[in-house]
Amino acid sequence: MTSSPNSPLPILGVPQRPLRRSTSSPLIGGVCAGLATRLGVRELTVRVVASLTALFFGVGLLIYMLAWLLVPRWGEDRSVAQRLVGARRETHLILFALLPVLLVLLALGRFARRGGGVAVWPVLLAGVALVAIWFGSSREEKGHLHEVVNAAPILGSSSSHGWRALAWRFVPAVVLLVIGLETLRRIGGIWGGAVPAVLGAGALAAGGAILLAPWWLDSVRDLSRERRERVRVEERAKLAAHVHDSVLQTLTLIEKAAHNPAEVTRLARAQERELRQWLFSPEGTTRHDEAGESFAEQLRRIESDVESDYGVIVELVIVGDCPADSHVTALTGATREAAINAAKWAGVARVSIYGEVEPTAISVYVRDTGVGFDPERVADDRHGIAQSIVARMNAHGGDATIHSVVGEGTEVHLALSRAAAAS
Amino acid sequence: MSRPRVFLVDDHELIRSGIRAEISSQVDLVGEADEVDAAIELILERLPDVVLLDVHMPDGGGLAVLCAVSGRAPDVRFLALSVSDAADDVIGVVRAGARGYVTKNILGPDLLDAIYRVYDGDVVFSPRLAGFVLDAFSAGTGGPTPTGVDPDFEQLTPRERQVLRLIARGYIYRDIAQQLDISTKTVESHVSSVLRKLQLSNRHQLTNWASERRLT
Repeated sequence: MTSSPNSPLPILGVPQRPLRRSTSSPLIGGVCAGLATRLGVRELTVRVVASLTALFFGVGLLIYMLAWLLVPRWGEDRSVAQRLVGARRETHLILFALLPVLLVLLALGRFARRGGGVAVWPVLLAGVALVAIWFGSSREEKGHLHEVVNAAPILGSSSSHGWRALAWRFVPAVVLLVIGLETLRRIGGIWGGAVPAVLGAGALAAGGAILLAPWWLDSVRDLSRERRERVRVEERAKLAAHVHDSVLQTLTLIEKAAHNPAEVTRLARAQERELRQWLFSPEGTTRHDEAGESFAEQLRRIESDVESDYGVIVELVIVGDCPADSHVTALTGATREAAINAAKWAGVARVSIYGEVEPTAISVYVRDTGVGFDPERVADDRHGIAQSIVARMNAHGGDATIHSVVGEGTEVHLALSRAAAAS
Repeated sequence: MSRPRVFLVDDHELIRSGIRAEISSQVDLVGEADEVDAAIELILERLPDVVLLDVHMPDGGGLAVLCAVSGRAPDVRFLALSVSDAADDVIGVVRAGARGYVTKNILGPDLLDAIYRVYDGDVVFSPRLAGFVLDAFSAGTGGPTPTGVDPDFEQLTPRERQVLRLIARGYIYRDIAQQLDISTKTVESHVSSVLRKLQLSNRHQLTNWASERRLT
């Protein structure tokens, strides 16, 4: 049987065996959440009790650490302590790691005797236990511990910048804090001088802050206003540059080509398409190579190419989309030929392309309402193009049907079954 | 056939004069407005048959006019005009009760045809709009488009699908009727029924679909 990745959540009034450290809602080690599940009570209740007993000479803290070491994590068969005993190499490492911890412990021991009292010892023991847990925990639990550390206020922000950055910030800060505490102690004991001194300093700082607050707030506000303004100016500059580069140029071209309606239409359509692309496409997207394009993207490219090359309006409608493989690319290639064919020969200003991707098939219709032709008697050049469309589709397991009536128009239907496309 | 009384709403003078030039010989132009409030007031006063409505305007756009008028003057029909084929716009105005949607680059005769069809009580679907609707309704067929299947999302009948496909392929109603061997009236009733389904269907799903696709 495989164990589920998430441990069971507590059900009120229902004790669940066995006792395991929780993996579904752990705050630190998952001890409290695991205990809550085992006892069938709220997690919050256990956590509050643990915190209160921790205040009581650190008893809760020690029990917590002990449980962390001895109770296996949900889904794991060995506890942290068992792992440590099992792995000899790790044990050596811990002994090395314990050495500096012991030194600090002795140094602070003096401190403890004088002022801090008995509370210092449980904290130090918990520190030792944490070192042991770090070395004895499983890979998954280490990942979880990383998350906990990253979420902690002091360690978190800089541990993402690497431990070196953390050390640079952490060591001077601790040294300063120790110096500060020591200085305060020298003033005349914690209650004699230190507390009034801190209170006095705090009052001074608060008074100064209140006096200076309006000025400070103003400058902050100015700064953010300035930033907004700058963003707006940049946006405007970008827009102006774009309008100048493309829209104004096109308008100039249109003025020059005023005598040629087809050219004017072509320029306007091309500009419209470009502007639309710029306005509506997400930031930073540019056109890909034909190879990386989807079915719909290839069709859109055909639309713009045929419009700008042949001065007709292409009415493109696409339903659905799919990635383009070689068969799909052959289909769009045939579509391009059919569209160019219509643009060149039909004698009308509008060509419709309709592409639809269905679960089982892809179909494209290219239609114009132009002169049409009699399939029995076609001019040689047109014949060739029609044949090449049919041949191309057949080569890829598809079908091409050309339906044309003189005086009414032509419709080319291209079909490709997706089973063929997938094979 | 009597000439329809047409009211024109667009905030761009250039567009208004262009449309005026294209249609004024064939319809009775009873008024124009270039902003939302004036449009609502004048439309309620003159009660035109067809309102040509710009989708993009300041102060709420065509949607605001549609919502304000349709409650108080249900006989006024709306044909939405827009520079954009963006799915959000299309779905928005069609759901609010517009009887048709065409883009501003529509050719003069086609625009007149659309006005007359709306005047006759028909629905005008541009090829692009037909494509949108097919796309939106392909949700239920396991197509690749929208998220999940909504049981409230009414499905299109095969016939309605066929009609929409032909519209998307660029056919006009007369040709569609001929292709499917049915009367033009039947084609129109299919399209009206599609419009009704579109207006009744789950709003949330449609907007989701539209914003996901960002079709322009």
